[in-house]
Amino acid sequence: MKRLLPLFAIALLAGCEKEITVDLPDTPEQLVVEGTIEPGLPPFVILTRTQSYFEPLDLTSIANSFVRNAIVTVDNGNGPVQLDQVCSGSDLSPEEIALAAELTGLDPTLLAAVQVCIYTTTNTAVFGEVGRTYSLRVEAEDKVLTSVTTIPNPVPLDSVWFKLALQRPNDDSLGYAWGRLSDPDTMGNHYRWMARRISHRANGSVEDPTFISPLGNTFEDKFVNGLTFDFSFIRGRQFYSDQPEDNNEETGFFKLGDTIAVKFVSLGYNEHEFYTSYDENVGSSGDLFGTPVNAKSNIDGGLGIWAGWGVYPDTIICQ
Amino acid sequence: MHRWFLVLGLFHTCGLVAQNTFTVSGYVKDAATGETLIGANVYAKETLKGTATNTFGYFALNLSPGPQTVVMSFVGYEDDERVIDLKKDLVITFEARTKAIVAKEFEVLGKKAANTESTQMGVMDIDVQKLSTLPALLGEVDILKTIQFLPGVASNGEGNSGFYVRGGGPDQNLILLDNATVYNASHLFGFFSVFNADAVKNIELIKGGMPALYGGRASSVLDITMKDGNNKGLHGQGGIGLISSRFTLEGPLVKDKGSFILSARRTYIDVLTKPFLNPEGAFAGSGYYFYDVNAKANYRISDKDRFFLSGYFGRDVFTLTGSEPGSPDFRIPWGNATVSARWNHVFGPKLFLNTTAIFSDYKFSFKGGQDDFKFGLSSGIKDYGLKVDFSQYPHVRHELKYGLQYTYHIYTPSTVDVESGDTEFAIDTPSKLNAHEGALYFQDDYSVTDQLRVNLGVRLSYFAHVGTFREYVLDGNGNSVGTKEYAPGKKIKDYAGLEPRISARYTVGPNSSVKASFNRNLQYVHLASFSSVGLPTDVWIPSGTNVKPQVGLQYAVGYFRDLFDRKYEASIEVYYKDMLNQIEYAEGTQPQDGGNTNYDAFLVFGKGWSYGAEFFLKRRLGKFTGWVGYTWSKTMRKFPDVNAGNEFPSRWDRRHDLSVVGSYDLNTRWTFGATFVYSTGQATTLPVQRYWIEGRVVSQFSERNGFRMAPYHRMDLAATLKNKPTKQVTDKTTGETTTVERKYRSSWTFAVYNAYNRANPYFYFFTTEGTAGGGDLRPVAKQVSLFSILPSVTWNFHF
Repeated sequence: MKRLLPLFAIALLAGCEKEITVDLPDTPEQLVVEGTIEPGLPPFVILTRTQSYFEPLDLTSIANSFVRNAIVTVDNGNGPVQLDQVCSGSDLSPEEIALAAELTGLDPTLLAAVQVCIYTTTNTAVFGEVGRTYSLRVEAEDKVLTSVTTIPNPVPLDSVWFKLALQRPNDDSLGYAWGRLSDPDTMGNHYRWMARRISHRANGSVEDPTFISPLGNTFEDKFVNGLTFDFSFIRGRQFYSDQPEDNNEETGFFKLGDTIAVKFVSLGYNEHEFYTSYDENVGSSGDLFGTPVNAKSNIDGGLGIWAGWGVYPDTIICQ
Repeated sequence: MHRWFLVLGLFHTCGLVAQNTFTVSGYVKDAATGETLIGANVYAKETLKGTATNTFGYFALNLSPGPQTVVMSFVGYEDDERVIDLKKDLVITFEARTKAIVAKEFEVLGKKAANTESTQMGVMDIDVQKLSTLPALLGEVDILKTIQFLPGVASNGEGNSGFYVRGGGPDQNLILLDNATVYNASHLFGFFSVFNADAVKNIELIKGGMPALYGGRASSVLDITMKDGNNKGLHGQGGIGLISSRFTLEGPLVKDKGSFILSARRTYIDVLTKPFLNPEGAFAGSGYYFYDVNAKANYRISDKDRFFLSGYFGRDVFTLTGSEPGSPDFRIPWGNATVSARWNHVFGPKLFLNTTAIFSDYKFSFKGGQDDFKFGLSSGIKDYGLKVDFSQYPHVRHELKYGLQYTYHIYTPSTVDVESGDTEFAIDTPSKLNAHEGALYFQDDYSVTDQLRVNLGVRLSYFAHVGTFREYVLDGNGNSVGTKEYAPGKKIKDYAGLEPRISARYTVGPNSSVKASFNRNLQYVHLASFSSVGLPTDVWIPSGTNVKPQVGLQYAVGYFRDLFDRKYEASIEVYYKDMLNQIEYAEGTQPQDGGNTNYDAFLVFGKGWSYGAEFFLKRRLGKFTGWVGYTWSKTMRKFPDVNAGNEFPSRWDRRHDLSVVGSYDLNTRWTFGATFVYSTGQATTLPVQRYWIEGRVVSQFSERNGFRMAPYHRMDLAATLKNKPTKQVTDKTTGETTTVERKYRSSWTFAVYNAYNRANPYFYFFTTEGTAGGGDLRPVAKQVSLFSILPSVTWNFHF
């Protein structure tokens, strides 16, 4: 009896899981915009389509989700400028792939393996400027999508640093990135933290090919308006990363020796609404402890986001 | 207000003209324990004119003068007949003796009066004493889970004690413990209910046709009466189960005049799991336990006055203390406390008064942190109330109830505080919300003819949200741009309304009747819920400027029949219910969003409706007792700001719901129990499409609750073995052997939960399997099940 009791307690808490088949209804596919514009850079627009949930997640399927030959224009008030379609593929050099990854946030393996197309321009007339408003219009597959965004003033961090977390016994190298923010005295600031390890691996490749925003690091100044305070950030992880540090006890930690590029992004209200609901959508599984939430798009006629980013850049050397 | 008294007066005059009758009144008590008996029938044998005892075991019966026989009849007890020659008002105390044969009967419905006699419909009683012979999860006898077996009552998924009556939400059930409202009736995130069956005397559930006596909730009443305590001698009972132990002590304060009962229960999951947690590990300091204490005392001051004091106190505590620097730690206590003080006074045989003073308190708090970051969240509700309830028996054809009820509510909305290092975040402590709630009611149970009996009732209720209160003035983005202060007691918003309650019974044969009812209920409190499983983070909020009172409108008709010499009872009820001014949090709201804004800032408003048919067949008498209940129903919701304004099924919408409950007394020692349930799968929201943003998969969800999980079905079994009721005693001097009753009795209950090991769905989630590198990455749907086959054993005793 004495030995039996705890077993029951454990059984109570454990539960069990099994795979099931769910018949999903055919729902009409929608177009999805992932578009950003930051100061000094051209707009980047990735246009994809929704897929049925159980479509395979292989490269062909991912490549098929990209929408080609769309007419994409950006207007900063001085008339629309049509963006060019730029496609990746096996003909690009590794350096070009790395640059494309850095600029678009797309996975370099994907860029190298299949032809993916994005929309951008070399026309400096529509490069990002702080305080300016940009209208987006997309025509593709008999659909018209529109949206508007403004690049807010970037808010600088007072300082950024690395601090050991000391969460495990005998650990003297893992820690979090910290920042000190002095929030401006006006209500309505919205922020998003992004980081990227730019130090290199033994094989010469950069540790993080793109900036990553860990889930739950989009916030507003509702409760911190006008305050100066410190906050910490875990290390984000690329989707299905098979890097060792994303699959062992180092997951979520920065490490002594890392160099971290930081993008501290200021957002508008609608953009903040999108990224917080996106974080929640991506981070949740099942509807037990809450109602599932669709990401709150600011695109008329489709899904996704068109966001002006007010970027404050900084660098942390983990020592 | 005086118009209302006019209405009361009108009711009063009908049929109250004194007739040539006398009143027989008194109490019905259990002869062995002195407990008063609720719902015992008292009638004149010759005329079959009868009544039933009230919550305090009191009855009053108007009879014509002359010689006749008054009978007290109650299932499980011997009939008690008194031959009287009625020449003046008479007081009789019935001391009812339990039937010697086998065990007590398993009584569910119709204790109040025969199934077909009463005007009430949708009323269900449960015999607490038989609960322990039914199978229960981990051997924890649970009143609320037994209620889920009744037709018209839906459960909320595996192991959950939450109940949903005829499509109504969990906040629409008025749960009363000795007249005090219990706001959160669950322990351990809903797995166990707060009611310790050892301390409970009577349970009554009213699903529809709610009498005017009850109010403040839109769907149902669950009225639980605690035992008074044995006034003949000191007795104890208790049990040791897998996850908790119980002990109850009861006895006289002054023999035959006053008694007490004290009952306590505590779980020991924390004690059990502690040795298995790695003292170095992240969860080393975690623990969970709950306990509750019920206490009650009563004293008979005179033949006309009786005083009761009862209380409940229960707490859940969940802690996590990280052993390493930097690991999170938190402490989450929550629970209820209720106190009610009651005074019964018999003014004369025809007028009975019960006055109750009530205190009820529910609190939730969370304190946690990690490193320099500290987070706190708390909420709660506190009530102070007074009820004055009269029962009057003016005439053989009329039974009146009237009174007034008042409650002062103090609500604590979600209160958040956050600190990071030395910086305390600028979050105001939100105002507590104060409100007055009052009601006047009147009802007359009127026998119009021998066939037709009607219960006419009306309730006038009033609610006012008053200061102190700080209202935030918000801009378009929901940010506060200013505040408006209200002084203490200053009225901010009030509501009043009439609530007609009508039900009628028409006898169509010797053993059958047709009943119909209509009721309108106003509910001034709302439960805003973040989850679907009834977590303690759910917050009670009052009606106010933007939050209108809930309105419940219910129409029901039914056919009731007794079969085979009343061995069986059967009924069919059909209902339609409208629920207006329902609330929900807007999609994506989190518990911590509540700071620096109004308590209603994140709410959206809509309506719900439900209709269904309930079939019930019960065997009341014999060695084999039990029932079969089947419900066909549909429950929908429609909110302009949810699901793009389209109607959607409620989470507790169950097209089919079947319950079978049986109990068999093999002999004086063995009793077997079995239950089976089948219900349509729970409605759930699943992703139908996906897309990519920043290299992550984003889910695009179906319509709200657009999917059904697999059906739920489960069978549980139990066997109870009692020790021999008697023992042989040999007299040493004479050598004579006699059989005497044992003073100490004990029993073992062996139970199996989920006997055929069905993997019932608890929830579904979508995820991916495989790796991108391996090229076998694929999305999969998974079902989580909670309890596989779970045997349990409980040892119970009493002396």
